[in-house]
Amino acid sequence: MTWAQRTTCSVLEQNSVEDELELSAVRHRPEGLEQLEAQTRFSRKELQILYRGFKTECPSGIVNEDTFKDIYSQFFPQGDASTYAHFLFNAFDTDHNGSVSFEDFVMGLSILLRGTVQEKLNWAFNLYDINKDGYITKEEMLDIMKAIYDMMGKCTYPVLKEETPRQHVEVFFQKMDKNKDGVVTIDEFIDCCQNDENIMRSMHLFENVL
Amino acid sequence: MAAGVAAWLPFARAAAIGWMPVASTPMPIPPQDKRKTKEGLIILNVSGTKFQTWRTTLERYPDTLLGSTERDFFFHEETNEYFFDRDPDIFRHILNFYRTGKLHYPRQECISAYDEELAFFGIIPEIIGDCCYEEYKDRRRENADRLQDDEDMDMKNDAAPVNLTFREYLWRAFENPHTSTLALVFYYVTGFFIAISVMANVVETVPCGTLPNRSKELSCGDRYALAFFCLDTACVMIFTVEYLLRLIAAPSRYKFMKSVMSVIDVVAIMPYYIGLVMTDNDQVSGAFVTLRVFRVFRIFKFSRHSAGLRILGYTLKSCASELGFLLFSLTMAIIIFATVMFYAEKGSTATKFTSIPAAFWYTIVTMTTLGYGDMVPKTIVGKVFGSICSLSGVLVIALPVPVIVSNFGRIYHQSQRAEKRRAQRKTRLARIRATKIRSTNAYMRYKQNGLLFDSLEEASKESGQALVRKALSPPFESQHHHLLHCLEKITNHEFVDEQTFQANCIEISVTNKSGSRASSLSSSPHGLSSCCSRRHRKKSSFSLPSTNNQELSTIQIRERPVTNSRSSLNAKLDETVPLKCDKPYITPSMVSLSAPVVTSSDGDGSTTTSAYFQSNIVRVSAL
Repeated sequence: MTWAQRTTCSVLEQNSVEDELELSAVRHRPEGLEQLEAQTRFSRKELQILYRGFKTECPSGIVNEDTFKDIYSQFFPQGDASTYAHFLFNAFDTDHNGSVSFEDFVMGLSILLRGTVQEKLNWAFNLYDINKDGYITKEEMLDIMKAIYDMMGKCTYPVLKEETPRQHVEVFFQKMDKNKDGVVTIDEFIDCCQNDENIMRSMHLFENVL
Repeated sequence: MAAGVAAWLPFARAAAIGWMPVASTPMPIPPQDKRKTKEGLIILNVSGTKFQTWRTTLERYPDTLLGSTERDFFFHEETNEYFFDRDPDIFRHILNFYRTGKLHYPRQECISAYDEELAFFGIIPEIIGDCCYEEYKDRRRENADRLQDDEDMDMKNDAAPVNLTFREYLWRAFENPHTSTLALVFYYVTGFFIAISVMANVVETVPCGTLPNRSKELSCGDRYALAFFCLDTACVMIFTVEYLLRLIAAPSRYKFMKSVMSVIDVVAIMPYYIGLVMTDNDQVSGAFVTLRVFRVFRIFKFSRHSAGLRILGYTLKSCASELGFLLFSLTMAIIIFATVMFYAEKGSTATKFTSIPAAFWYTIVTMTTLGYGDMVPKTIVGKVFGSICSLSGVLVIALPVPVIVSNFGRIYHQSQRAEKRRAQRKTRLARIRATKIRSTNAYMRYKQNGLLFDSLEEASKESGQALVRKALSPPFESQHHHLLHCLEKITNHEFVDEQTFQANCIEISVTNKSGSRASSLSSSPHGLSSCCSRRHRKKSSFSLPSTNNQELSTIQIRERPVTNSRSSLNAKLDETVPLKCDKPYITPSMVSLSAPVVTSSDGDGSTTTSAYFQSNIVRVSAL
């Protein structure tokens, strides 16, 4: 088919699709400022700032996974941040309804920026535990690790090898898996992190972000 | 980096906490955030332009941003007004909607900007008033077309990667001759042969002079029969090969065989083969001669080579209804006038208008203003109706033709626009790439500045300069760079730019060619070059990162110190992440000091490593 034919065909199709979409635009408004202030550890001003940023990128009030991936990828232009963004999305979407509303977003940030170390570690464990069954297996950790390395992209020094994430996972499991049963539970994880001063220090790294 | 997502940077940084537990080295210090940043009438300050309205006006539409509590998020206490960082010109229309209940679309605004504002303020486009709705819809459709075109172009061009089978590659070469030189050559060769074949068909009917023992004039085709036959054979062979290749490469053979171009191809070469089969049969040779007429269809094969011809064909196809109307109205007029002329001329003697069908010829010739003059009316009545016939002919034909012409014009302009967009796309992609490269370079520069700043007294002089340089970069930039730096630390790899990466790859493959050293671990010879292959190719079981880098280090990679204690690397391979030692390029010395702490926990002799690191510390000052 010549492109001209294709153009007219696509125009005809689009009319019907467009009309359907318009009537079902999804919007979401967050709860009031007072309620959010009570539920999170942010001050009023901080919530205002957060919301403005949120709303600019997602005027409809909710973030779906594609927008999330898109936003996160803009911070890592050299690599492919979509896999890690997918895991992040699942960690933020606490009620698993496929979209992150402003409340979910702010709750997550409240833990990450203002929570206790215990809460932060809990959140990190939840991020790594992809199927949320309470155990981190090697496969889950490998997925996460690959996602992190994917963000680096191709042009790195030294050149990224196929088995680098796997080796990193091995190191991680050696450190974390105390009873060597092949999975890391939340207690092992928290215990081990609390004994590692590097990790403890890095947990406080982003506290003054807002 | 789009400044639009700058507001999401705090989120990206907070999410970096998710990487921390897998880190084995300490993270770099974040940059200090020096700046700290606050029935009745409502003042709405939109980017400096102040609008005022009653509270009740806004609350008329409680399901929009301005009408609900959502506006509280934008309240600015210090000035006691609601501040929106949006476009004031478009906001005017939105506020007017609250005042009058009608939403208008300003024609000079860009449709996507307008849509964004509407989405931000929570207003559904359906309530645009009738006066502006059509225009809005049209512009939106155009925009959607443009986006769709871009996507199609993306999909078409993304099929470029290497994973095409031979068949797909062939098909792509046929459909798009610009993809490779071979395809281009093939394209021109077939075009040339089509031209030759058509010209041969034409020339062989030209009279060429008589043979001495014959009185009849011969055509060139009969005189040089053998030459023409050979030429014809050559052309048909090329066409047959082309057709078979296309048939093989087609993704859907059935669809290909149904398409117009393939039918033309078949019709063009069939007469030759039929002629080969039937040469000795005199009875059907008469029919065979007629079959040669079909050879002229070869000229339609040019439509693959000419876009204009395709547009013409497509126009005719799309104007089928107009053409049909033209034909129908002409037929009606012909029948009417032929009947009238027949009965008018019936009385005159020796008239040529012997029957109504005979009068058709006169009517057609007259209506199209040809006027051959082989049939003319002789009676007065006949002449009167003859003149009416010719006048009406002009009108009937002139009416549908402009429609066809305008259709052609529209399709032609569309093709022009698509061509322009395709050309602009290249520059657009180049711009995007340039931005990416710029941000990478900015990050490299940050690292160099930042490292000089972080290292100990050896670099104190430079730290003064680095401080100045750092202060000049905006805080957002430095925070973003810090984030990227954390990622590097977690994965123990560094970001490099394209050129350095390519250079590394070349150097690695050069070393590989010069013979890989014997090492205690097995290495497959093509494993080293796999660093340059695309990541989705399956790599062989290659497990020599440290040896690789040892070879790397012996090659003079620019700016990087080179010593590596080989034995220590080999010993450590199975233990810690060997990549830690892969960095002959040591950056903050505080990293180098703490690294031995981590490695010693694995019970390995860290003396060699510390010696290694110390030697590198010395190197840093030489930088």
